Amino acid sequence: MRIPIRMIGIATTFFWIFLIAFFVSAVYSVKDVHFDFGEPQMDVTSDNKVIFSLLVSITNRGFYNIGSFNISTEVSDKEGFTITRGSTFIPVINKNDVVTITHNMTIDVNDLLQRDKNYLFNDTELKIYEAVSMRIADVIPVQASTNFSMPWGAPLYNFTLGKAEYTAHNLTHFKVVVPIGFENRAFFDLVGNIQIQMYNSTDIIVGEGQTNIEAHHNSPYNGHLELYVSIGEMTESGHFEVYFLTLLFNYGPLVIPYG
Amino acid sequence: MADANNDSKKTVRNFTFKALKATVKGTLFYGIYFVLWMYLAPISGIVPDLQQMVETFVIVYIFLIIVGELTSRTVFQYFFNVAKALFVIGYLIFSFKSGIFGLTFQNVRLMIDFRLFLVIAMLLSLLGLAKSVFQAINYMNEKAEYPLI
Repeated sequence: MRIPIRMIGIATTFFWIFLIAFFVSAVYSVKDVHFDFGEPQMDVTSDNKVIFSLLVSITNRGFYNIGSFNISTEVSDKEGFTITRGSTFIPVINKNDVVTITHNMTIDVNDLLQRDKNYLFNDTELKIYEAVSMRIADVIPVQASTNFSMPWGAPLYNFTLGKAEYTAHNLTHFKVVVPIGFENRAFFDLVGNIQIQMYNSTDIIVGEGQTNIEAHHNSPYNGHLELYVSIGEMTESGHFEVYFLTLLFNYGPLVIPYG
Repeated sequence: MADANNDSKKTVRNFTFKALKATVKGTLFYGIYFVLWMYLAPISGIVPDLQQMVETFVIVYIFLIIVGELTSRTVFQYFFNVAKALFVIGYLIFSFKSGIFGLTFQNVRLMIDFRLFLVIAMLLSLLGLAKSVFQAINYMNEKAEYPLI
């Protein structure tokens, strides 16, 4: 019985040494893994979606390969509704290797507006959940995650139509000049078109007009829109219906009363 | 009288040898801990109480090694070997809990899955426990056989 006991002892000792050496070296080699996150870039895709790109560089100078490397990002609103999510996966990062990846995330602003039109007119905060996971030495799963919030600037912040100015155009029509003002607080430039329809108090359309807008991000916009209305159908009060047609989103009607 | 003197000398010599062996084993174990800790030290700043936990383990384990050596060639040696194996199992369960280790550091939540390591370590500890039980059985067998011869 002594020999089997001795064999068990030798095998146990061998496996303990192997296990501890492997575990300690795997943990130790984590300090030689470096991550470099570049500046986030923003672009507009051909199908008019906003795409965020983050350049990530992973330098693995550890003793072992890193397996199943995954970066995932989830953007949600205050109520927890998921606006977008994106993930980037690398099957293996070999030791003594440098891997550079682009982590992309796409936001469809139209989808966002379907959820809540306030994103157009009011600033808010978006919640971001970021998680990086990997398998150290291909066997020890590690995940680091964090939550933070990012301000959302409204592209049409404080959108207002000013007091309309009426001038006689001819015997049958008035020329109406409507001042438009807002501040583009979004992270993207706003390029597109604003259409306004003018309705009288009996909800009959009396005139319409449109103007092109180009508002750079974080800058105010002040312009005006001209429309011609029939004198006979004009009333003292009524409402405007405003439509926004831009590269990134279409929205309307926004109803603004006058008179 | 001379026999009694010889026995006494033999006992002292045996005890000195056991104490020397226990000291060497304890020092060797502490040396291994010292070397390994140099590799683990960088993460001790992130993991709270890691050094205290490891030191507690090392102190208790060295104590059991020394006591086990001092009681060698008696049945108590195997009791202490079993205690050592049980201590390792208990320590692993206590310190690793479910095997998923989590900590929060400056709004970043870190999660490490040690389940595979824990399973292997537990199996090795159980093997060590089985070995100690076999050794105790073997010792008792041999002790029972010799008087018959």
